[in-house]
Amino acid sequence: MSNHDQERAMAGFTADIYQNEYLPLDGSEVNAIVTVSATGGGPGTGQPPAAEIVIVDTSGSMDVPKVKINSARDATSAAIDSIRDGVAFAVIAGTDSARVVYPGDGSLAIASAQTREQAHWAASRLKAGGGTAIGTWLTLARELFDSVPGRVCHAILLTDGANEHETAAELDVALADCEGRFQCDCRGVGTDWEVSELRRIASVLLGTVDIIPDAAGMAEDFRAMTERAMGKATGSVSLRLWTPQGSTVAFVRQVAPSVEELTDRAVAVNPLTADYPTGAWGEESRDYHFCISVVPRGPGDEMLAGRISLVEDEEVLSQGLIKAIWTDDQQLSTRINREVAHYTGQAELAECIQDGLEARKLGDEATATVKLGRAVQLASESSNDGTMKLLQAVVEVEDAATGTIRLRRDVDDADEMALDTRSTKTVRVGPAQ
Amino acid sequence: VTVVCPSGHASATTDYCDQCGAPIAPPAATVMAPPPGQATEVLPVIEEEADTSPAARREPCPACGAPRSGDDRYCEDCGHDFTAPRGAGTQWEAIATVDRRQFERQATEGLSLPAEGAERRFLLNAPQMRIGRRRERPGEPVPEIDLGGPPEDPGISRMHAVLERQDDGTYRVRDLGSTNGTTLNDDPRPIATDHPVALAHGDRIRLGAWTTITLQSR
Repeated sequence: MSNHDQERAMAGFTADIYQNEYLPLDGSEVNAIVTVSATGGGPGTGQPPAAEIVIVDTSGSMDVPKVKINSARDATSAAIDSIRDGVAFAVIAGTDSARVVYPGDGSLAIASAQTREQAHWAASRLKAGGGTAIGTWLTLARELFDSVPGRVCHAILLTDGANEHETAAELDVALADCEGRFQCDCRGVGTDWEVSELRRIASVLLGTVDIIPDAAGMAEDFRAMTERAMGKATGSVSLRLWTPQGSTVAFVRQVAPSVEELTDRAVAVNPLTADYPTGAWGEESRDYHFCISVVPRGPGDEMLAGRISLVEDEEVLSQGLIKAIWTDDQQLSTRINREVAHYTGQAELAECIQDGLEARKLGDEATATVKLGRAVQLASESSNDGTMKLLQAVVEVEDAATGTIRLRRDVDDADEMALDTRSTKTVRVGPAQ
Repeated sequence: VTVVCPSGHASATTDYCDQCGAPIAPPAATVMAPPPGQATEVLPVIEEEADTSPAARREPCPACGAPRSGDDRYCEDCGHDFTAPRGAGTQWEAIATVDRRQFERQATEGLSLPAEGAERRFLLNAPQMRIGRRRERPGEPVPEIDLGGPPEDPGISRMHAVLERQDDGTYRVRDLGSTNGTTLNDDPRPIATDHPVALAHGDRIRLGAWTTITLQSR
């Protein structure tokens, strides 16, 4: 690649670091928020070749009520309409096994007016009947993607029920084979699916998870997801973290637009460097929280605690430095950086909601009240209005500032699942006070 | 290219050691001598008759001009670090002024603009120069750039911001979570707390109800 190309590629990514570099003399924990922004690239940076597969649950329950399978047909059509010309695509119907309903020749079709028309027809004939074995759906999608190497691969997975017709271990094996091969956004319709199951699939496959409480909203959601996938201007990008000798990575976590633990995703590059996959990027911005434990040095000493690089195909797109400076000046060392404090709170918020809902399910109302109360307090402090609204459907807020709440007695299942799936959504740090 | 860090590691990265993370000082060749004709401007003009005493022959402090005592690392007069990178021999100065534009922009009620014209000059002679207002209380830390005392701007926090010297000798400004924020030049948006912004000659740091700090190199 020529220098010119490198410059152009680098112009598309920026990494901004937010941290208080100053540590007290015995301080060893370095925290930093890194905002990574991708700006779509300049003229001439065409989008990479893409592949898109829509996976629709056609188990028997999709017929109850009938509106689910009807909406799924419409939503599949809406997704097909959003696939741009030249993109390889297919539609899979999933039951206790998986079947390609379009194009059905063991490969993918190339999008054009004609193939989209054929796919619409195939989508309109989707019929419900059978069980649910999501691992087989994913495996078929992976096999299809394998037939079009070199493309940025994305799938949409829709289900209305739990994974009942295969074991958790079978799903795990299928999922592990798909990891890094394609990205998958997961959607649950109705209230009979398992939030934790779908969240795990989406998490491993670097996608989003959400509930479609009302089947009528499905087409719009499918259209939006497909358009977002079509907007990706890069292939798979990794966050590369170098840390000095003697240090350990306490955690790496995506914190905006949603909380996603990345610590265990580390792929070692060398003893001091690891890559964390982030998938494909469109014009978007994401925040990451890095926490690195280093060996303290003397007063006035400076150390590079982390070097962050964005890497695509071994090419470094952008870089940022996380530093540590030891000082005996407490004015400098005791302040907690605003971004770090904010996102520490957002991560705790997500954890409190998930723990609180789990406790509620197990009948442990005391724990549920404490956890969901703390969640209300954190949502209020950070002006996370979206999460606050979802919390209010599950708890009655007496005093948000102190986190005083009462658990509601009659909670709609969909409201509880919406709170659970969307608990990881964060807000960005507000303007300075 | 491989460089050697202060601890003796061979490092492929030249800013910080790729083994231990220690900063790597720029090699002597990159600390450029001032171009001819400007060299004399770096040194303060001493308007005294020629002094031939040993003190005068000693290296003058680039910050305040006081002679260096032996091989002392820090200047006895102003605390300047003789080993610090000198940014191509540049001395930086921060000049705080009462600024009508800042006052009008802030439009703080109940305050009137003090007389303009008064200047407070601060030589940037330490790696960290904190900007703030000294509290008249014993034991409280004193910012290096102390804007306490008349004309005292009540919109400046006790510890408002800090100017930090970078490896190339230039400075950057970091807001320390000040109450009323810090803006730069004509950008009305305050800079983010703890997000250092690099400064160049002539940059204006605006803070408080009427204060503008202009950065100058010479």
